[in-house]
Amino acid sequence: MNILYLLSGLPLASGALFFTFNNLKVKYRLSIFTAGTHLIITYLLFAGFIAPPQNAWFNFDSLTKLFLMILSNVFFWVTANSYKYIKHSPIEKIEKSRQIFYNMTNLYLFANTLALISNHLGLYWVALESTTLCVAPLIYFYRDKESLEAMWKYLFLVSVGLAFAFIGILFLTLSAHGTEFMDNALYITVLVSGASKLNLIWLKAGFIFIFVGLSAKIGIAPIHPGEVDAVSNSPSPVAALISASLGGTALMGVLRILQILSWTSLLQFAQILLIIGGTVSLAVALIFMFRVTNYKRMIAYSSVEHMGIVLIGFGIGGIALTGALLHLIFNSLNKTAFFFMAGNIHRNYKSREIGRIYSLLNNLRWTGILFLISFLAVIAMPPFGLFFSELMLLQGLIANNQFVLMTFIIILLLFIFIGMSRNVFRMLYRTTDKSTRTFNEHFEFSHLSAIVLLCILAGLGIFIPEPLAKIISDVTRLFVHGI
Amino acid sequence: MENVLNILFCLTLLYLGTTTRIMAYLNVFVTQGILLFVILILPLFNKFSAYTFILPVMILAVKAVLIPIFIKRKIMLELEVRKSIESDFQQFNFLLLCVFTMITVFVSANMLAKYTLIDSIPFAAAFSTIIIGLYIIIFRKKLIVHVIGFLVMENGIFLLGVSIASEMPFLIELISLLDIFVAVFLMGIAINKISSTFAVDDITGLDELKD
Repeated sequence: MNILYLLSGLPLASGALFFTFNNLKVKYRLSIFTAGTHLIITYLLFAGFIAPPQNAWFNFDSLTKLFLMILSNVFFWVTANSYKYIKHSPIEKIEKSRQIFYNMTNLYLFANTLALISNHLGLYWVALESTTLCVAPLIYFYRDKESLEAMWKYLFLVSVGLAFAFIGILFLTLSAHGTEFMDNALYITVLVSGASKLNLIWLKAGFIFIFVGLSAKIGIAPIHPGEVDAVSNSPSPVAALISASLGGTALMGVLRILQILSWTSLLQFAQILLIIGGTVSLAVALIFMFRVTNYKRMIAYSSVEHMGIVLIGFGIGGIALTGALLHLIFNSLNKTAFFFMAGNIHRNYKSREIGRIYSLLNNLRWTGILFLISFLAVIAMPPFGLFFSELMLLQGLIANNQFVLMTFIIILLLFIFIGMSRNVFRMLYRTTDKSTRTFNEHFEFSHLSAIVLLCILAGLGIFIPEPLAKIISDVTRLFVHGI
Repeated sequence: MENVLNILFCLTLLYLGTTTRIMAYLNVFVTQGILLFVILILPLFNKFSAYTFILPVMILAVKAVLIPIFIKRKIMLELEVRKSIESDFQQFNFLLLCVFTMITVFVSANMLAKYTLIDSIPFAAAFSTIIIGLYIIIFRKKLIVHVIGFLVMENGIFLLGVSIASEMPFLIELISLLDIFVAVFLMGIAINKISSTFAVDDITGLDELKD
């Protein structure tokens, strides 16, 4: 059977099927089946055990495989853990939200998979817009004022951003005018192979529009607010999905254009834009790290920071590019675990305010410890992978003699670390009069998931298995030629 | 003939700059939908086939009928939206800004046409529409007007696609139309909820989330 049907058809079918009945438990089990199948097929594709289907509309190159693996892994863990989070949510009387939860997550998986495997920029665009539409009702899960505002902002800001990206895509068509492939100009493989014949003015304009438009969805400053609001006000499984997988899907669009540009003289221009975007994101993350009063927003700003690092890596190229790819994978693992723990805190303390969380390490033993470890991983402590990927980024900066930029980035990272640890340690150790209140926490599946994810994160920092190493070197070759 | 239609499109934009009634905004959006339909259908008279008519007819149905009816019935009547658009920007200045933008866009499109292969008038008309749609989002306060601004922007993008003869596959055009419709549908529901929970229907109420 064609694996395309299993990869995209199964989530679509289960998403559609779920609209016909209301049994949450059955929906959950079927979703796990869908997510598991998706993960297995993606892994088989990733490791090269099965050959990808040949179709002009779809592209299964190494970049697609890598991003598909990230999506599938995050989605599996999110689905496996979701039942507890939505059944025992901190806010009651949201039966309607519970009923559509699995419908929307499955449709999201379908749309996101389609966006990742599409070889046609038009198809990529419609699939990406569909992910926004699937995620919007999930952001409104708690049905309160904050989540309503967050959903409106996300929906509107991202839709306008994607409209800009569409203009960029039209400019790409314009750049192919007069070439022999102008009728097929929106196929990525066609654009890459004929990149040297494209009109540079329109190509440049196209990149600017696509980068600016998609940055609303990637969560890059200064258009990050929609993403931050969405991540911080949705339930943890949804926050993990948006932060760990959806940002990557939007980034993929930028990377595809970068892949085209790498064959032209515009590469340097694009790289400078990426570095500026990344550095501004780091600076914004730094400012807000000292201002946030909500721990979910704090993690959301940490996502802005890490996306910034990834962008800088792509901007510098060489070994920093390898670092950026690894960073993307590590960040997705780390954020999923981090959001699970944040969700546990929210469920027990019934608050997202940092000021209302106290003696976490005593009250919620497992959650507290894993929250602390996730935090250590986020600030790039060894042996966690993010340490090594950030080291590669700095190595790339040194190799390019960018010492000023390097110093600046290190200072930003240092202060982000200070700001974040101030908040986290307050949550972990602060005691109040109410500390006598007891929480009864047992070891749950979410703790096991976080342990597994963090172990993978630490393991990948030390040893990178063969299939992953091969994919990463293949992806690097898409951007750097002649090696 | 196409150029005449494109100029008519620009005139609808100037009308947006002068009027302050929401109904007028909606009517302009309907007019633009009809104009888009005519622009798409004109070149088809030489090579008639039922298949090629599907897209223009769908555009007419979605942009001139479905979305306007949805906005009118679901949002405006249920909310009893006050009739005027409320802006923090003087109307005359807004008109000046629109005119100035259009002149700039037309002059620069003319210059660009010398170096690259574009039709300056359709290109400039499309780009002015996109920018003025963006102005509406930036300078107006009401959420419902923001949605109309977004739709005007989408019209501009569609016109841009036509003007540069981009060969988007038929199916993708249809799905993108559906995407936009669903987006507007969700935005409509959100506006309804916002006005009942926040008791306002403009952005001044949306300040719960900040650091």
